[in-house]
Amino acid sequence: MGSLDTYLPIFFMTVLGIIFAALSFVASRLLAPQRPTAAKEAPYECGIVPTHEPAHRFPVRFYLIAMIFIIFDIEIIFLFPWAIVFGDLKTFGLVEILVFAAAVFVSFVYLISNGALDWGPMKRVRPITSEVPRTTRSTVRRIGSSSGEAA
Amino acid sequence: MQDPLFIHGVGLGVVIIAIVKVLVVFAVLLVAVMLMIWLERKVISDMQNRIGPNRAGPFGLLQSLADGIKLFFKEDLMPDRADRIVFKLAPYLTLVPAFLVFTVVPLGGVVTIAHHRVELQVADPPIGILFLLAFSSISVYGAMLAGWSSGSKYPLLGSVRASAQMISYEAAMGLSVVAVVLQTHTLSTRGIVLAQAPHFWDWGVFRTGIVPFLIFWVAATAELNRPPFDLVEGEQELVGGFNTEYSSIRFALFYLAEFMNMITMSAVMVTLFFGGPDGPGFPFLRWLWPILWFAGKTFVFLYVYVWIRAALPRLRYDHLMDLGWKRLIPISLGWLLVIAGVIISPAWGFGILGGCVVAAVVLYQALKVARRRREIEAGAAGLGRAARVAAEVQLRQLAGPHEGGAS
Repeated sequence: MGSLDTYLPIFFMTVLGIIFAALSFVASRLLAPQRPTAAKEAPYECGIVPTHEPAHRFPVRFYLIAMIFIIFDIEIIFLFPWAIVFGDLKTFGLVEILVFAAAVFVSFVYLISNGALDWGPMKRVRPITSEVPRTTRSTVRRIGSSSGEAA
Repeated sequence: MQDPLFIHGVGLGVVIIAIVKVLVVFAVLLVAVMLMIWLERKVISDMQNRIGPNRAGPFGLLQSLADGIKLFFKEDLMPDRADRIVFKLAPYLTLVPAFLVFTVVPLGGVVTIAHHRVELQVADPPIGILFLLAFSSISVYGAMLAGWSSGSKYPLLGSVRASAQMISYEAAMGLSVVAVVLQTHTLSTRGIVLAQAPHFWDWGVFRTGIVPFLIFWVAATAELNRPPFDLVEGEQELVGGFNTEYSSIRFALFYLAEFMNMITMSAVMVTLFFGGPDGPGFPFLRWLWPILWFAGKTFVFLYVYVWIRAALPRLRYDHLMDLGWKRLIPISLGWLLVIAGVIISPAWGFGILGGCVVAAVVLYQALKVARRRREIEAGAAGLGRAARVAAEVQLRQLAGPHEGGAS
């Protein structure tokens, strides 16, 4: 009696899911027309000809989130076995987990106070340098003029 | 605790029963997705005072089927900048986990077929709930790789957003699941359902004090990229999100997986918090009632998902991240500890509750420090050099004596 027997139906389901997806692709290949053109295969940008490559670098916040997530995920993985045996551990288990949670919480507070979990652009306070009144003549860019100010 | 089907080893009969279970659940899932897409379109259109699909079949019931068949005949495009292998792999990574997660959900009671005791769920591994969390995480890879391999701007942005959002809410989700496990002492989904019998006040939602359920619900909605958390496919910003470049049947499979995950998450909520197939039964057709109860409860959540989509506007991305990290995670962690305390004794519970209040105050102070730091930084960005240096000095003072270059 292998303990892996329980996973037999899950294995069947995996195979069935893969077969279903693969057969769909085969059917699509047989049924669908294939007339690719350059326009169809270009990256979709709402009809505009793409001028920039997609970004290779990302705001560092995304990596930060991924790293912080790992800390929390490990914490949660520790909590599962604890929750199972909590009935036997009683007060000892509770104190243990309180210490553990406190340690995690301290690092969490540190992260938050350092702004590691802040999002969105910073609000830039730009001092107003120009005294030109804001009218259509001063703000609307016109053909022939190089700057925003009207000629 | 073990799946009773496999207690006497694996024989031909057991394998046949397993295959039949898999096939039935597979077919039911596909039909359920079809009906769910129809239901969503119909309910939304009712709420918006439109008619919605009404041409294909009675009440437009076959509309999704018609759409699916149509997509088979559509040209399957491969963008020329795409990473071809990963582009083809991503739909599998999204679809297969969507099927797998549903396998551990208990659909009904236990019946006897040809001298085998058969649980009405595809599989009952002893670590069912961990299996569920693990495989719902794998679908993040599907979204991430689909967007990355497209070689296009918007899908890439959509997929990075999707993965950040999904992993952010997974932490809160996991913590609220731990709260349920704390009360039921088992990771097996069947065990969790059995521990919530026989009265409805034994259901997880009441025994864990509602808060974990609410957090799980919000987190599940975010995990599914459903409105109001559908920033992944914010049409106004990202065209269609990570699957923009996918067409034909590949797109259909992403769509299928999305709705299947929705059904699965509703089923999981029913399993964890609402007793799964638990409910009053009647002597005739004894095996049918639990299934009906399960389907009914799941349907309530599915309907609410559609309702939420019609009712709520989309969140802003920073609000989304703030909600996940700065509110849901601390609340669910605190509530988990309070539950653990109450299990030992009420005095411990109140003590920990007090500790949580103190922690909340500390957290609030930390948020204030972060906000001040940002204000100083933001101010410095728009100022001259002298003012920037002054702000730097101020920042260092804020950071304390131990920390040097914080900017």
